[in-house]
Amino acid sequence: MALLATLLALRKDARILKIPPYLSAFLILVGVAWLLVLPLKEYSRGTYVSENALLPGQVHTYFTGSEHNVFRAYRHEVAGLVDLPVQQRTERLSELLRASNLKVATQKYTYTPSGRNISDENVYAILQGPRADATEAIVLMASLKTMAGEHNYSGVALVLALARYFKRWSLWSKDIIFLVSGDSTSGPQAWVDAYHDAHDPATIESLSIKSGALQGAVGVEYPAGPWGHRYDKLHIVYDGTNGQLPNLDLFNTAVNIASGQMGIGCTLQRMWHHRNSYQERLQTMLRGMLSQGLGHATGPHSAFIPYHVDAITLVTVGDGWHDEMGLGRTVESLFRSLNNLLEHLHQSFFFYLLLEAKRFVSIGTYLPSAMLIAANFSIMAIALWVQSGRPQETIPNPAAAKPAPKSVTQDAAKDPDHKEKEQEQEVEEEPLEPPPVIVTKDGATAIIPAALLQVSERPLFLPAAFVVTAHFLGLIPLAAFNHIPVANLYPSFLLAANLTALLPLATAYLLSRFTRPTPQESTLIHCFSLLFLGMYLSALATLNFSQSLMVGLLTAPLSFVRRSSGSRAAAKLQFALLAAINPVMVVYGATYVGKIELLDVLVKAAEGWHVWGMWTQVVVWLVWWPAWFSGSVVVALGLF
Amino acid sequence: MRSFLSFALLPALIACAHAGPDYHERLLLRPLPQDALLASFNFRSNETAAAYEQQNFGLFPRSLGQILQHAHTKELHLRFSVGRWDADSWGQRPWYGAREGSNGVELWAWIEAGSDDEAFARWLTLVNNLSGLFCASLNFIDATKTIRPVVSFDPEGDHADTSNLHLLHGILPHEVVCTENLTPFLKLLPCKGKAGISSLLDGHKLFDAAFQTMAIDVRPVCGTSGRQCVVEMEQTVDMVLDIARSKRPRDDPIPRPRPIEDIECDTSKSYNAPDTCYPLDKKTEPAWKLTDVFGKPLRGACPLTAAEGPESETLCINAPPERTIHVNTTGQYTESLSASDTLRCYKLPTGTELDLVLPEQRMTTGLVRGQPHLYAARSINGHGQERGSVQAVIRNPSPTDAVEFTYLESLPWFMKPYLHTLRAHVSASDEDPLKETYYRPAVDRIRGTHLELRLVIPPASTLILTYDFEKAILRYTEYPPDANRGFDAPPAVIRILGPFQSADRKGMYLRTTPLLLSLPTPDFSMPYNVIILTSTVMALGFGNIFNLLARRFVGADEVPAAGGLKGIIQAKIQSVRTRFGRA
Repeated sequence: MALLATLLALRKDARILKIPPYLSAFLILVGVAWLLVLPLKEYSRGTYVSENALLPGQVHTYFTGSEHNVFRAYRHEVAGLVDLPVQQRTERLSELLRASNLKVATQKYTYTPSGRNISDENVYAILQGPRADATEAIVLMASLKTMAGEHNYSGVALVLALARYFKRWSLWSKDIIFLVSGDSTSGPQAWVDAYHDAHDPATIESLSIKSGALQGAVGVEYPAGPWGHRYDKLHIVYDGTNGQLPNLDLFNTAVNIASGQMGIGCTLQRMWHHRNSYQERLQTMLRGMLSQGLGHATGPHSAFIPYHVDAITLVTVGDGWHDEMGLGRTVESLFRSLNNLLEHLHQSFFFYLLLEAKRFVSIGTYLPSAMLIAANFSIMAIALWVQSGRPQETIPNPAAAKPAPKSVTQDAAKDPDHKEKEQEQEVEEEPLEPPPVIVTKDGATAIIPAALLQVSERPLFLPAAFVVTAHFLGLIPLAAFNHIPVANLYPSFLLAANLTALLPLATAYLLSRFTRPTPQESTLIHCFSLLFLGMYLSALATLNFSQSLMVGLLTAPLSFVRRSSGSRAAAKLQFALLAAINPVMVVYGATYVGKIELLDVLVKAAEGWHVWGMWTQVVVWLVWWPAWFSGSVVVALGLF
Repeated sequence: MRSFLSFALLPALIACAHAGPDYHERLLLRPLPQDALLASFNFRSNETAAAYEQQNFGLFPRSLGQILQHAHTKELHLRFSVGRWDADSWGQRPWYGAREGSNGVELWAWIEAGSDDEAFARWLTLVNNLSGLFCASLNFIDATKTIRPVVSFDPEGDHADTSNLHLLHGILPHEVVCTENLTPFLKLLPCKGKAGISSLLDGHKLFDAAFQTMAIDVRPVCGTSGRQCVVEMEQTVDMVLDIARSKRPRDDPIPRPRPIEDIECDTSKSYNAPDTCYPLDKKTEPAWKLTDVFGKPLRGACPLTAAEGPESETLCINAPPERTIHVNTTGQYTESLSASDTLRCYKLPTGTELDLVLPEQRMTTGLVRGQPHLYAARSINGHGQERGSVQAVIRNPSPTDAVEFTYLESLPWFMKPYLHTLRAHVSASDEDPLKETYYRPAVDRIRGTHLELRLVIPPASTLILTYDFEKAILRYTEYPPDANRGFDAPPAVIRILGPFQSADRKGMYLRTTPLLLSLPTPDFSMPYNVIILTSTVMALGFGNIFNLLARRFVGADEVPAAGGLKGIIQAKIQSVRTRFGRA
């Protein structure tokens, strides 16, 4: 009881309000440190295959011998058809697949994101499992162009050769769909959308033949020309749209088969030389997080993952001694494993960070880091709420012999308005202290300063309206960047950059004209905006951990900026800091550091919105930007 | 010259039922495109109704007959099927689909009973008995899987009184059909797979087929006079073998890549080289023989079949006249040609083996395949765990005839269709193709949905039938093992009503593939996690509270002297001292 009473007494203590900023900073530090600890061996785990049915690498593979001769011929065929017009190319591909006694169909699609015209044609063939009942299917796909924009000669040829080879086996318990898509991301997207009837039939053709529920998909990218090229390693790409990941079992199976059965090294996240040191594990993890946080499509497999179809892409990299048949046997073994599945992949993790091909961190271990960072905003929001309910004047110690004069360094800001100052001066001429109140209860008498008993009302309308408006304002750039044609994208970006930089100043200036918001209201604006941010980010952390963490770190200074009451220099400094981390500047800086064309980013973002169903823009413009804007206006108010 | 044999000829080939007990069997082989071979086995045995009633089973299997009598079943249709009939390549279905079942096991029967409840009780008796007889999980056909179709099925037999006959129908879509179902099937035959065409039936080949269906049909057949009734049992096996796959020896079934010398390369390709080979399609009919594709020799005729006449020719092959066929046997056989020489039938020798040998041959003529009257495909659209929609695409290839058909859906109760979203839409016309609807909604855990539609599809058009459904959340214990696989929804049964009519009363059917319905599935380890966690909390909490309640806490100085031996001794010493002290 004594402890409780102490705690309750402490609640009233003004010192308690000084704790939250330190607590917030502490949480951010712990969050970041937490992340840095993850790549240590003690905090990560070795991967393992959870689904017993998969039995990776337990079968002999027979894709060799004369199949190699056939493969080479198909590679020449593919090399001959890539430059043909779409119509002829489709016919030729259909002919090649039909020669293997498969059911062939095609699908035309057209997308027009930001005025561009993405149109092409998918060719796919269904191998009906001899004993299957069309309830389940697995997909093997290759796009004619790789993600890097090269011609995927050997990849497509491998799909054709495997289609011919798989047809001879009688053990398939599921249908196998062979998909040759026009391009690497929108083609599979159009196909998988149409497969689930989630497409717009006006621009994307419906599929004429279908099979059962998709259980898995494997993409192959092998851009070796008609005369072949031996590769060194397999790069396994696994990030889906919006940072969703395939079941870890699929990734593990691929790694297990490639490295264990075939002796082909596996690498991920473009870490071509991974010597398994702490730095490299950290780098792999951070690259994975960056890719996840951006939420873009990273390959033909990305489109499948939002439909709960686990998918990966195998990309050949480097110069080495592994040939196409090795890749073919890897895919064969992988399909034999997937064929074994009795249930949809569900045993292993869907949320993980990979450190190398055989080490990972699961969600339970890494999630606290983003949650701590999100929590810092909520803590500050609560602190600001409490602060806004306190009387704006400091309460002098009633026990002091002589009441201290009203402090000049008190927290409440003085409005720059002249009239206000006069009023305050008038106030100061009056007796400094309202008489203390004497309270008698149960025979005991207490003298309490009147200020403590004052009820300070929180005017909620203006802060709430402001924060809501700020969030709705974000819809304008969101809509604009998704619909402006390519030619105008860059100028629009410059315009947005300038507007974003000036808008808080202009808003603060306009508001100060109307003598609003009062310091209390600006505290409430800050409070609401942080409250929203904290809630959004903690919710986002469960969906896309990396995105939440990235936005959380980039908005972390918003917890610590304040409407400066005294020096304008402090306000200017804070404002300059915020201007440097505004979302538009961050995007610009990131493209500069990453040496990427800014226009490409904008074009891909619009494509992501229209084609891939990417949500990153929503987070940037409706979560990050409003939070930044509200914080900046609060700081800018100190300037006027 | 192109030759033609329609499947309509087949029933005519097999002569009408005789009045007395007899037994017929016939195997029809028919090469299909893409190196496939359709083998249609048909076995038929009769027993007079009077003898059947007196339990005097002659050729009729006693085990089945007693079950049917016990369950008061007048007509029975049982199907075991695996795989899909590829109508695009293979054309019209054998028996117009009348002897085909949906994937897994399908059963429908006309049961004599006074009331619905009695009929259902007898139905349960029937399925449980058949379950034991055929080693299949037929006993899982319970009330939730049983429907009473209205227009999709008509009795094939001659029933004197149909007023107290009840039609019940059940499907098990996920039942795996395998050799344990074939063995009891063969045991029902009089020659039991030892002789006759049934000696070719081998589990390894049958269940490696691209499509196979086993059917048992029992029906009463009466002569024109209405007397002289017989109980007829027909057993049918239709299978589509992949010749290349079937020819692989059983001890080495792996399709290894063939040596490059065996592959015909397209030398006209510019890149053709010793290590580069564009494979050419041979365009020849593959070589095969009965022993290879069925893995067993044909052990002569079953002695119970007729000795003379067309009934005695039990092995038929439907091939163009130019196709070379060698008969390899040491016994006596006869060959007869019919249907403009496209059908060759053989009377098998008794007691000796017979083999048909077809060499590889480049053909100039082919067989015309009958075109199916309808094509049907059905799939689940949408994603997520809450709702979805079913889309059935039914195509009428005929350029002149509108086809009338019924569409029967029997859905499990946890798949709840919204009937108001049912749309039947024909691409070419604005007329509503939906003529009639029979609907019996599901009751949770009691019965499934029964939806029967009568539709008309105009010539050369495609009908798209869609409806939305909601997925129910099951109770924890209602999930089967392998719950994450999803749940199978039975295929839709389509019966063609007109204008095409089959020659007999069997009707024309086709069935769609089953659907895989993914329901929200709990993480089954979660309850155990919760149990472990709550148990821990309980243990900690309970321990503390129990301590507080049951123990008394006192200060150390309040504790009475230590007990035990030492205490006793000390107390003794103390008492002695005090005594002495006083003394």
